This record gives sequence, structure tokens and C-alpha cells, in this order.
Amino acid sequence: MSFDLHRPATVTEAVDLAQRFAPTARYVAGGTDTVIQINRKKIDPAHLIDVACLPGMSEITETADAFALGALIKYRSIETHPAFRGNLRVLLEAASVVGGHQVRNIATIGGNIVNASPAADFVPPLLALDASLDITGPKGRRSVALRDFIVGPGRTNLSPVEIVTSIRFAKLPARSATAFLKEGRRRAMEISVVCVAACLTLEVSASRCACVRLAIGAASPKAFRPEQAEGYLIGKPAGNESFAEAGRLAAEASSPISDVRASAGYRRDLVAVMVERALTTCLQRIREQNQ
Amino acid sequence: MNRKILNIVVNGESHQVLIEPHWTLLQVLRNEIGMMGTKENCLEAECGVCTVLLDGKAINSCILLAGQVEGCSITTIEGIGDPEHLHPLQEAFIECGAVQCGYCIPGMILTAKSFLDENPGCRPSRDEIREAIAGTLCRCTGYRKIIDAVATAADRIALSGAKQ
Amino acid sequence: MSAHTHRVAGHRLPRRDGVGKVTGKHVYAADFKLPGMLYGRVLRSTRAHALIKKIDASRAAAIAGVRGIITSADIPQIRYGTAVRDTTVFATDRALFIGHAIAAVAATSLEIAERALAAIEVEYEDLPPLFDPEEALKSDIRIHPDWETYKALPIISRNRNIAGQARIRVGDAEAAFAKAHKVYEHRFSTALQHPGYTEPRVATADWDANGIVTVWCNTQLPFDTQTTLAEILDLPAARVRVTVPGIGGGFGGKLRIGVEHFAALLARKTARPVKVMSTSEEELTAALPRQASIVLLKTAVDKEGHLLARSGRIIVDCGAYAGSGPGTAAIALQVMAGPYKPGALAFESVAVYTNKVHSGSFRAPAGPMANFAMECQIDMIAKDLGLDPLEMRLRNVVKEGDPGPSGEIHRSVSIEECLRKAADAIGWHDRNPEPGRGKGIACSWWMTTGGSSGVYVKINPDGSATLVSGAVEIGTGAITGAAQILAEELSLDLTDVNVTGVDTQAAPFDYGAQGSRTTFSVGNACLAAAAELRRQMFELAAEQLEAPIEDMKLQDKHVVAGNKSISIAELARISRLAGGGLIAHGTAISPAPAYDPTRVQNHPLPVWNTPSYHAHAVDLSVDQATGKVTINRYVVAQDVGYAINPTYIEGQIEGGVAQGIGQALSEEIVYQDGRVMNANLTDYKMPTAMDVPEIESIIVECRSAAGPYGAKGVGEPPCIEPPAAIGNAIAAATGCWPNSLPMTAEKIAAAMQVQHS
Repeated sequence: MSFDLHRPATVTEAVDLAQRFAPTARYVAGGTDTVIQINRKKIDPAHLIDVACLPGMSEITETADAFALGALIKYRSIETHPAFRGNLRVLLEAASVVGGHQVRNIATIGGNIVNASPAADFVPPLLALDASLDITGPKGRRSVALRDFIVGPGRTNLSPVEIVTSIRFAKLPARSATAFLKEGRRRAMEISVVCVAACLTLEVSASRCACVRLAIGAASPKAFRPEQAEGYLIGKPAGNESFAEAGRLAAEASSPISDVRASAGYRRDLVAVMVERALTTCLQRIREQNQ
Repeated sequence: MNRKILNIVVNGESHQVLIEPHWTLLQVLRNEIGMMGTKENCLEAECGVCTVLLDGKAINSCILLAGQVEGCSITTIEGIGDPEHLHPLQEAFIECGAVQCGYCIPGMILTAKSFLDENPGCRPSRDEIREAIAGTLCRCTGYRKIIDAVATAADRIALSGAKQ
Repeated sequence: MSAHTHRVAGHRLPRRDGVGKVTGKHVYAADFKLPGMLYGRVLRSTRAHALIKKIDASRAAAIAGVRGIITSADIPQIRYGTAVRDTTVFATDRALFIGHAIAAVAATSLEIAERALAAIEVEYEDLPPLFDPEEALKSDIRIHPDWETYKALPIISRNRNIAGQARIRVGDAEAAFAKAHKVYEHRFSTALQHPGYTEPRVATADWDANGIVTVWCNTQLPFDTQTTLAEILDLPAARVRVTVPGIGGGFGGKLRIGVEHFAALLARKTARPVKVMSTSEEELTAALPRQASIVLLKTAVDKEGHLLARSGRIIVDCGAYAGSGPGTAAIALQVMAGPYKPGALAFESVAVYTNKVHSGSFRAPAGPMANFAMECQIDMIAKDLGLDPLEMRLRNVVKEGDPGPSGEIHRSVSIEECLRKAADAIGWHDRNPEPGRGKGIACSWWMTTGGSSGVYVKINPDGSATLVSGAVEIGTGAITGAAQILAEELSLDLTDVNVTGVDTQAAPFDYGAQGSRTTFSVGNACLAAAAELRRQMFELAAEQLEAPIEDMKLQDKHVVAGNKSISIAELARISRLAGGGLIAHGTAISPAPAYDPTRVQNHPLPVWNTPSYHAHAVDLSVDQATGKVTINRYVVAQDVGYAINPTYIEGQIEGGVAQGIGQALSEEIVYQDGRVMNANLTDYKMPTAMDVPEIESIIVECRSAAGPYGAKGVGEPPCIEPPAAIGNAIAAATGCWPNSLPMTAEKIAAAMQVQHS
């Protein structure tokens, strides 16, 4: 455990440093994951490049039809931001169950994404919002859909010198709602046994599903969208029966592991229950909006 | 060793410390500056005894690299009150019987302070307090009297704020 | 003096160490440091059961900054232990579990010490391991091949992998089973639970010019630590000084030597002060957790649900060393008997070695394990007989003067009152308010721990008192409680009593902050010291006031005789000039009550002192799909004899229940093939503030004859009943008992699935 800590002032400087010290360099922001991994000797970087204070990466920007979240935004900022109390509640709900306040005051949403843990709580909501990432690297900027970004447990298509600078997603149409559910052994300070994010849009009639995006964490090598379950629901009446079937399909699509936190079988059962409940919550929320 | 100078403000006092890059803020506070009220346990941000305020917000000092807080302002338990001038939270913790072994208490008080300071004058519900302190484990009290203490302090702070 | 007139005792006064603790000024053992101090770390076995063929530390010793390395070869070859002297500082010729200490390093920094550990080469030759305690009972593999050569307390009965075996027998259980209305047999299991203190075990040791080693540490038992260290270091006890600056929780996990010996041995080797602190990983792989256990119970009843006969066996998994296993297992027998009329009993305890971490005496050792089994079975029987579980208990509980399992006589019995109060408070009449919601109840009894206490009390010239005790203030507020008793007896305010820190060189003996005893026993010693101080003051006052001693009393910090009076401060000053000062030594010991030794065999704690009685009731909901438990309300009715400080009694109840909720629902050190799978606080799940409901305490006061003002032991009982009460409530909500701890959502969901299919 011995490294140099660099504190670049701009994204360009950061990328230059990463290039100079690659492959032994690693970016660090809030450090809530990186420092633990260093201490547990899981990683041993020779150079840490502190991006926590880079300018322009901590804003929540709202346009007419979209949001852009700076990658350095802290969970606690998401939790307390008024924009996420309506139909984007999934973000608030996911942000508020990550660690304790102490972690949420410093850990960044970008860090959670690039960390690509199968159980990362903030990834399913963004998958359910069909978010894409803005990435800056030596060759300039690029954009990639989040669902293509994470490729496996702890693995992304980010090159070691690239930085995720922001996360963008479209606002939801009318008659939409979102929800996030998490199960763990305790009610706080948990790594998800399973987490589910749902985004439901109803048809104009408000009785059938027009668009459904589901995302499931901790039940597969990476957080995933159960496409069969989503597809099944399109045009179906929104309600217990169809939601339960979607849950069943989602459970079928999951490929959980057994570990010290739960067995694969229990995780699969949870997926079914939680998908159904998350959709039911969305439906209730849409109805409440319309009241 | 590639030591570097770190400038930080701790409890209002400026400090210049020679640090190694892997040192955490906890190590600097305890070993270099002598703020022993900041406690050490799990070192993985799971227990909360190391909580301090970084620019007013509660964080786990055990996993924050000291080099990352250059120029920042840190508040430890020693910085919010002393035996002659207790902070309302400190007073309420004693009064409500919220202190047993006491090892989590500095972190608990600072976690609560950070939360109460988010909305000055707020009187959070017991459930909100419960949620706010969930990142700090207490094995002695079962939390009830800690919640009593935070609620009591919040009331007093709100009241004194209203008077001013 | 009658209790309701007390000015200080019985009142909710703030603890004496509160200001230091909320301002960060209170010094804990972890905060202690000395100039030039080295940092020690321990190399631990990576094999569960293996011969150690070679340890090569030469590469490690060559690392700059490494000041000393010790292994078994460098230290006196002694075995120590409480019940069985089977324990060594380091693994000798064989490693007995993953986490077993192999060597220790002192270096100028922790990082260097860690690098040195990695550079020590150990050559192992694996032996077949034993992880399952029931298999260990049958196996030909010996975890301690030389077990017969070990010394042990004469009462302990051992055999091969069995570290201790005890029995309680009352009447003819077999005959009663044969003619009973119904006989029930059940099996329960409980998991390894870490005490979860927030300050890891830590010690700093330094040797002085006179060859005395001082150890600043966070032990609960400074005098026991002193004795054990003296054995390990091969020194007279007087050359070992143990002092406890402050302690961040213990709950029984810091009773026995943890890291003190490593610090002392490394300090001797390096001639420098050495500090050793456990890491989180060491805490979860090599500390002294609550043993895992298996309980088998067979119970015979008549049609009305009276308990006619019970037989049972508890198998306590000690891990690699006996630790407190034999005693813990034996105590389970009284817990299994419960606060019920014994009927015929045939209980047996077995403490067995396995290749896992050795265990300790976590708060109410054996209490929650045995109570979980016994009290869940009562509910199972009640359900089968169509009886209300509360009613079934009330039909069987002991009354004043009834005999207990060892033939002792129950006195100051309050179990019925506790049960009724807990049941009323939880709304027992409505046990299933809605689908998926249920209420459960469980009760128990528990001892007030014995052992002796001594205190010195001196009166200062300002009229204040200084209390010198060898008892550690572990956080319970016990020393504040004792100080309240002292203040009461000397007509002082609580703030007039100064309490010194614990130092074996200066303080009188105390049996230690273990069990449920500190306020009780130190309080009794304070009563004795106060009586002696009153005698000294009255004699002195008699000269000064020219009044007869018979007319004297203490009132408002004065000795008063009729219309004459003199202040305690004045007397202290006079005594300083003329008599060497006012100082007293008070002592206390609770003799064990009479019992019938023919009923109890090979039991290190054959009869309980001044038992307390208690009942817990819980109202919870179970998510019918996920099995997740939500505790809606939790009520405790506990007989404390006399509440010396109700605030801290509630604190004990609330905290004990929180630990019990952890044991019931979430906590478990998980072993797989001898390796701990969750050696960190991410996956060792202690309850957070979100997991513990607002525990409601009902303090019952049924005075004891032996305790100060009638007090009984308080600290341990609150963690006994939660698993059983919660298990019974889960059964009320779902119809099924998950009979293994922790009752995770996954286990409950599985039990519900079995029931539905």
C-alpha cells in the first residue's frame, strides 16, 4: 500500500495524469469504495488521481425534456433535491438507502456506476430511466448507454484513462411513475440482497401499460433489464395479475448467486415479489398524481 | 517516503501536517493532531465511530484520504463544545441517559449535528432521526435514548433559534 | 433507611463519566499511547487444522523497522484457561482454527508490522478438521490429543473432544414420560454471535526498571487478566499491573485475555512499549463470540399443560479451546428448567471442541440459546394442546418458596407479575390483530452473579468522597449506581463522589464487570465502607460535639446530634491532622444459597444467587412473501429488585433487547469449511437504529434480601428472551417456528413455503 495522490484541477489534467501513469493509476472521488479496496488489498494502485473537486461535475441540470447529473453529485444531494420527489422518485429512493448519511455525504453517483458492483443501488434506477453516460478521455468525449456500459461484475467499457463526467436521462411522459425497492437483512447499512427499479408509463386510457422499464440489481453478474418481462407488459392491463406475471418472468431471467447474504433461490423469489410490488407502487403513484 | 504538506483547519485552528499519501483523515486527526475524540473501529465506514464534519457534513474519516481534504475545514467532537460549554446535543445526550460506554457517542453526536444543520431550526420526527443516525452503530443503548437526546436537542436548538 | 425516602439512590441522576464521554475527553484504551511506542500485529493461521512444520521469520526480521518477532518457541510453555487449562498464547505444534495466533511482530509502524507478517513463512501439514460439534462427539479425530494431561477445575468432567459435561437430575423423568398425556420432542440451533463492542480489544504494555509490566487495556476483568498474564509471563502477580483507562463496551467479550499477552510479550522482547489492537477481521475470526449451540428438548405434559417431566441436551460448540464453554453449557441447564416448577428433570450439557474460533461469555452466556429452545417449545405445546401460551406459563411458574432445579428455594418471586404486566402492555387479548401479524411472549429467570468486591472510600478535606474500586465501568452506569449508594449512605450528593480509574496496583480486588453484579456487589461494598466511615466520623464527632454516638446521624453532609452538628468536611480536616484521614475498606460477598448437591453433577455454577425474573412480549408483522420481520412493539417487564438508577436500568433493557433482536433476526458469524465468510461489519449484521423498535421497559421491584436496598442483578437478562419472544411471535403471525437462529427472512420464507406445500 503505497501510492502517490494527485489532485488535478481540470478533467483534461486528470486524463493527462491517468495517461502518464497508466496502467498503475486509478481515479478516486469520494473514496468510499476505493480506499476500502486498497485496505483490503484488492487493488494496489501506484497513483491515485483525485477527481473529487473537478469543476463542473457536481451540478444537477434540468432542461425542458431531460436531466443531466454531474458524476460527482453526492447521494445526499439527490435525496434532498426537490426534482426527485415526483415521478423520478426512484432516484431519491435508491440514493437514500446507500450506506449511512456519512457515506451519502461524500460518495458520488459516478463512483457507484463505474464501480459496477452487481449490487450497486444507483445503477438499476438509472437503467430504468434508460440513462446514458458522458465520458471524457484522451480522444475527447463520447456518450454511451448505461446498459452497454457495464459489462460484468466490476467491469465496464470505460478505459482506465477515461472519466465519466455526467449522466443524462430523458424526463418521463405523463402518466409515468417510478419506484425503487431494496431487500437486505437490515433496514439500513445494507448491500442489496436484491434491488429493483421500475419505471411505468400508462396508455392515455390509464389502464394499460404503454412503456415499462425494469432493472434488477444483485440478482445477476450485472444489473440487468428483464426484457421479456418488460415486453410482456406492453399493452397489458396494469394490475396485480400482469405485474405478478412480469415478476415471474423477471425472476426467470435472473441468474443470482448464493453467498453469505442469501441463497440464489431466495434471491430469485425476491425478484418476482419485488418486481410485482415495484410496479404496483408505480401504478399507485400514477393514480395519486392524477387525483 | 513521499510525504507532503497538508493544510487543514481543525475546529477553527489551522494546521500544517506532513502526511503520507495513504494516511486517512482519521489517522491524521488521531496521530498527528491529537483529536482523540474521533474514534477508531471498523475502518470500513460501517460503524460510524470515526465520524467528523467535513465542511459541516458528517463523513467517515476512516476511509477518507487526508490528502483529499487539503484546505478543508474539519470539526471533531472537541470542536463543538467543552465541559464548561456543552453543545445542546452534548447536554441532551447526558440528560437523556443516551451515553453508556460512550465509544460511539462522538460520532453519534456529530452525525446528528450534521443532520440537524441541514435544515436549521427543524424538529425532525423520531423516524427521521432514526434514519439519520443509522450509519453509526451503538451496541449499548438500543438507540431509544439516543433518539430522545437528538429530539430534545433539536427542540432546544429550534427554540433558541426562534428567540434570536 | 427505607427506599422511598432516598435522596440519591433510586433517582434518575446523570452518570459521573457523561461529560467526558460527550466531549471526547474520556480516554479509552484505544486512545492510549506512549513515546517510542511500537505497533504489534499477530500472524494468524490460514489452516483450520494442521501441523506446523516450520516457521521461518528470517525475511520478516530483516525488514527495516521490525523490532521483534515472537512465536511459541520464544515464550514460556504454559497452558491457561478458566475451566480447562488448554489454551496457549500461540499455536504450538498445531494450528487449531483459521485465525489461530502463530506469531506476533512489533514494528515502528502498523504498515511495517503488516508487511512483516506477510513475510513470515509457515509450513503446514493439513490434518482432518472437525467443524460440526455433533460429528466431533463421535469422531476419532482429537482436537487436543493430549487433553488428559491438561489441568482443569476438579468439577469439570471431560472426555476426548468433550471439554465439559454437566447434569441436573430431579426425580424420575423416564417414568414420568411413560405415563404422561403427551410427550414432545424438538431440536433447535443457535449461531455464533459476536459481542459487537465498538472499541476493538486493545492493549499497550511497557516494562519498567523494576521489572514490572504495566498493561493499559480494555479488559472487563483486570484482576483475572493480571493473574493470567502473570502465568503467561512466568512472573509473580505483583509484577503485573493492569489498568483500564476506559472501555468501549465488552458484553462479556472482553473477560478473558485478548491481546494483552501479545503486547506484554512483544514489549519484553523489544524493551519498548508496544500497542496491539485487534482488526475488524480479527474480531470476527479470533475473538470470543457467543457459542453456537444445538438444543434437544423432550417434554411431557398432562392435559392441562402442566410440565411433568423434561429431558434435554445442549451441545455447545466451544471451538478450538474450552474457553467459557463448559460453564456456559452448564448454565443452560438452569435456563432450560426456567422459572417453572421443575417436575422431573434430566438435563445434560456438553461442551465440545471443534476447529473454529474459541468462544467466550457473551452477556447471559447460554441464556438466549437455552431460553429460545425452551420457551419456543412451551408455545408449540400450548398450540398443540389448544392452550393460551400465557395461560400455560402461568400454570407452571414458580411461586414464593417453591424449589428450583437444584433444590434451592425461590425467594422474592415475581415471574407471574412480570408475565402479566408484559402481556397486558402488549395487548395480549388480541394476539392476531391482522393477517401476518402476531404477538409472542417469553420469560426467564437469571442469576445475580456472585464474586467478591472490595472498595476503599476516603473523605476529602472538602467533604467529598473518593471511591476506589477495582470494578470497571463498562458503560452500564454501574459505578454511578454504586456511587449513588455511597452518596446516599454518607448524606452526600452524587457529584460529591469522585471515582478513580481501575488499577490493579492501587485498587482493592473486584471480581470484575462480568455477569450481572457490579452495582449489586460494589454497592454492597459501598454500604459496608459507608458504615465504617460513619463509625469513624461519629467517634470523632463525639469528641468535637461532646455528644453521645447513639444520638448521631448523618444529615445533609453533617454529623448531627440533637441541635449540635459538625460538617463532614470539618471532620475530614480534623482527622487529617490528628488521625491519618477518614478512610474505609468495604467488602462484599454473596454466599451461594443452600441447594441439593445430589441433583447437580459436574456443574461449575450449581446454584444461582439472588435470581431475577422477567418476561418479554413482542408484537410483530411478517411479510408473507419475503419473510421479512417488522417489530411493531417490544415490551420488557423485568424484576430488578430495587431500581438504583431507573435511567440506566432502562438503558440495560433497551440495549440488551437490541442485542437479542440481532441474535434473533440478523447476526451470525458464518463458517464454511472452517473459514469465516463474513469477517467484516458489512456482512456481520448488527442492528442499526432502523432495526430496533422503541423498547418499552416496565421496571418491577420485588426486593431481594441480599442486594443493596433490595436490588438484583440487571445487566444480562434483557438479552435472554428476545429470540424466544420473537420466535413465538413469528409463529403467531405465520403458523411456523423457524427453529434456528438467526431467524432470517429467508428462513422464515422457507418455513412458510414448507407449511403451504
